[in-house]
Amino acid sequence: MNQHIDPGSLRADDGIEKGGMLLHVDNISLSFGGVKAISDVSFDIKKGEIRAIIGPNGAGKTSMLNVINGFYHPQEGTITFRGEKRRRMKPHAAASQGIARTFQNIALFKGMTTLDNIMTGRMTLMHGNLLTQALWVGPAQREELAHRETVEKIIDFLEIEHIRKTPVGRLPYGLQKRVELGRALAADPALLLLDEPMAGMNLEEKEDMSRFVLDVNQQFGTTVALIEHDMGVVMDLSDRVVVLDYGRKIGDGTPDEVRNNQNVIDAYLGVSHD
Amino acid sequence: MLYRETGDFKSSYAADQQTFPIRSERYLFWGAMVIAFLVVPFFINDYWEKSVLVPLLVWSMAALGLNILTGYCGQVSLGTGGFMAVGAYACYKLMTAFPDLNIFIVVILSGGVTAFVGMLFGLPSLRIKGFYLAVATLAAQFFLVWLFNKVPWFYNYSASGQITAPERTIFGIAVTGASAPPWATYLFCLTLVFLFAWIARNLTRGTLGRSWMAIRDMDIAAEIIGVQPLKAKISAFAVSSFYIGVAGALYFSVWLGAVEPTEAFGINVSFLVLFMVIIGGLGSILGSFLGAAFLTLMPVLLKNVMVGGLGWPTDLAAHFEIMLVGGLIVFFLIVEPHGLAQLWRLAKEKLRLWPFPY
Amino acid sequence: MSPDFLNFIETVLNGLMTGVMYSLVALGFVLIFKASGIFNFAQGVMALFAALTLVGLQTGQVPFAHLINAVLGTDVHHWGPGLPTVLAILVTMLVMIALAFLIEKVVLKHLVNQEPIILFMATIGLAYFLEGTGDLMWGADVKALDVGLPSGGSFWWEDVTRNWAPAGSDYFGMYIDTLDVSAAIIAVVLVVALTLFSQYTATGRALRAVADDHQAALSVGISLRSIWVIVWSIAGFVALVAGIMWGAKSGVQFSLSLIALKALPVLILGGFTSIPGAIVGGLIIGVGEKLAEAYVGPLVGGAVENWFAYMVALAFLLFRPQGLYGEKIIERI
Repeated sequence: MNQHIDPGSLRADDGIEKGGMLLHVDNISLSFGGVKAISDVSFDIKKGEIRAIIGPNGAGKTSMLNVINGFYHPQEGTITFRGEKRRRMKPHAAASQGIARTFQNIALFKGMTTLDNIMTGRMTLMHGNLLTQALWVGPAQREELAHRETVEKIIDFLEIEHIRKTPVGRLPYGLQKRVELGRALAADPALLLLDEPMAGMNLEEKEDMSRFVLDVNQQFGTTVALIEHDMGVVMDLSDRVVVLDYGRKIGDGTPDEVRNNQNVIDAYLGVSHD
Repeated sequence: MLYRETGDFKSSYAADQQTFPIRSERYLFWGAMVIAFLVVPFFINDYWEKSVLVPLLVWSMAALGLNILTGYCGQVSLGTGGFMAVGAYACYKLMTAFPDLNIFIVVILSGGVTAFVGMLFGLPSLRIKGFYLAVATLAAQFFLVWLFNKVPWFYNYSASGQITAPERTIFGIAVTGASAPPWATYLFCLTLVFLFAWIARNLTRGTLGRSWMAIRDMDIAAEIIGVQPLKAKISAFAVSSFYIGVAGALYFSVWLGAVEPTEAFGINVSFLVLFMVIIGGLGSILGSFLGAAFLTLMPVLLKNVMVGGLGWPTDLAAHFEIMLVGGLIVFFLIVEPHGLAQLWRLAKEKLRLWPFPY
Repeated sequence: MSPDFLNFIETVLNGLMTGVMYSLVALGFVLIFKASGIFNFAQGVMALFAALTLVGLQTGQVPFAHLINAVLGTDVHHWGPGLPTVLAILVTMLVMIALAFLIEKVVLKHLVNQEPIILFMATIGLAYFLEGTGDLMWGADVKALDVGLPSGGSFWWEDVTRNWAPAGSDYFGMYIDTLDVSAAIIAVVLVVALTLFSQYTATGRALRAVADDHQAALSVGISLRSIWVIVWSIAGFVALVAGIMWGAKSGVQFSLSLIALKALPVLILGGFTSIPGAIVGGLIIGVGEKLAEAYVGPLVGGAVENWFAYMVALAFLLFRPQGLYGEKIIERI
């Protein structure tokens, strides 16, 4: 998608080769009032790959994504994104660095239309100020139209033209998931975090969504990190998998390696933890 | 055969963004504007000016302001009365300190001062939400009104504690003061409201408006998507307070001419404007006007029917009105939370498909 | 003790008394908020409505007399000498229960799954409706309310405290209104009674279950709607007590409903779900406001009481948004 986006885009080129390190997570520990959610987890994400994060319920997967995009601040450890090391960061700052995200429980703006929701995804790329916005005619309208074209391409890509003007609160679950993906794509992300993009879907919807994720990854070269429970989907889609259990990393590698890892098998079959 | 359009047939994105995408609606709007600007001024008299039209315009302005904050950005404020007072007192101080300054500029500057005060009181919204914030805005309401009561500098040390608007002119015609002709005050308010309604429409359809609505619908997700909560909330408070400040300035200088803070800017004003926004439609420019019209015209109508028609005492009509307004608020929140504006939209959709609804 | 210090104590004591009144109103808020998550803005107007009804019954006013006269051209005003106080209180309580029932039936039932802020605005509408109805029913003039509680300054206390000051100093003892003292006692009794009720009765347990988790309570067969009626009735009872106290003190009039607004900062301090919080918050606001009026007021022209509570709440919110006793919120997504 990087090709047809306006030249002012922040992240058109970050100088990282495909296969180079995009993100490092180093020794992250996170706790809430004494309850450990993540303890000492490290892994990395390479540019252009699909990285899956799996694990049983309560393993700390969503918390991990929240740490990566700055919503939770870990007590220990650092995140290195595109060579820049950080410990604390505001979520919107992470967004403007190119980390986009979808959510486990859909977090769309329910009162807004599909179009407006996806346009919101381009927030960090638009520069209109109060004055030009107030006048509308001129720079504000030009900017709006330019971004609208990109957004319309995303709408075409996700095959949701027919619901362009529908408030998303009225859409069925599967379509909402798709709109949410659209909103994340609109940010022209360098790293796309997907939190259970296929949860609660039927087979057909899952196939559609898998196709979209693969297309995004292959056509546009977008790096994807996804949390998913459906092992079939994970094994098919992802290049590498990291496995969390009780906030610790218990496996990391290609799908095949992970499948044969004894710790992972134990965690999933429920071997006791002592 | 109005509204003969059955689907989306736009061929460019620019056409798709129009305020009135349907041609007949566009004609209706401009027709109404022609009447408002060119016909009404010839027929307006004192009663219509002071009891109906100018109040309608002033409250529309205030409702637009509150709707930006509450309807678009989702931050409930009970401080509207206090912010209107800021606009009024800023207007008074500017009028008396700079007698040669054009009243139009004075009103705009009053809005600017209110925007600044609104931003200050909006800062807590970064940490607190919902009715916690509503309580915080009560602090603004009570503190500001108290301030204008207790600090004589604000009312130029006048003995009565009141402020009175001196006469100011535009193109040689008085728009404030006792001798201002009704058509002039009306046109002055109408021009301002028209201008700022247009600006409100522009602000709410672009990226700023979307950042407000995103905060309203789901603030956490909005922040993760890249909306800066600080920027979105503070700009909503600033813009909203600007509108409310302009409304306060007009309320004092054009409509009432003389005000005393406790009466004119009490907590009841805050509720009245909030009710306008709820009844008219949260998150709708048209709704702000419909709500203001409804709550301005209903008391006039009730009074005419009950006191004028049935001969009831005035206080009885007033109690009835309070009861009715309260009942209507509950009714609208239950039956149509999107207010009159939504009823209008539904009516249009019905008309579009008429006579074959399927 | 020096007279200055004694004056300080007097201010604090008076603040505590006022604070008890705030606590009473805040208590009604907390009860409803705990059981239904509704921030009931109409609590203050409910107190006004209860007090108006009580006075109307006591003095034998004909309800809606004003309206009836206007419509029918008659001249009715009183139907008799009125009910004895105890009976009038009982009938008023029945009216408040009926009101709770109506509110559930007409308003709440239809707003079950709405967002809290919508419900909040609905209760503002309800407040207006009740205020208009109260005025229509009983008239808007200021009424005296007397339920036989002692009132006026306590001479005994004045005599006791006069001796605390050094001999020869210009000190005449502390002024404490006996009505305030009875109000404080009644408030304490009320809180103890409510606590016992919620700990030791089946209904009380159901109430706590609902407060804890709506869904779970529903699934074990507790009827949410009847719980709501009960809670609103209890809140109506608390409103009646608050209405009697405030009415006896300063007359039954519209300003009574403004006390509800003062209860809001109390709740911010105490947290919306904590009964002890409501009490402590009320006392803090009461004392703080009286002290500010006594020591800051003269410097800035007085009437600091009007906004002091809100400013305290505002400042407090910035540092501890969850209140004194609330739990820290962990946001999830």
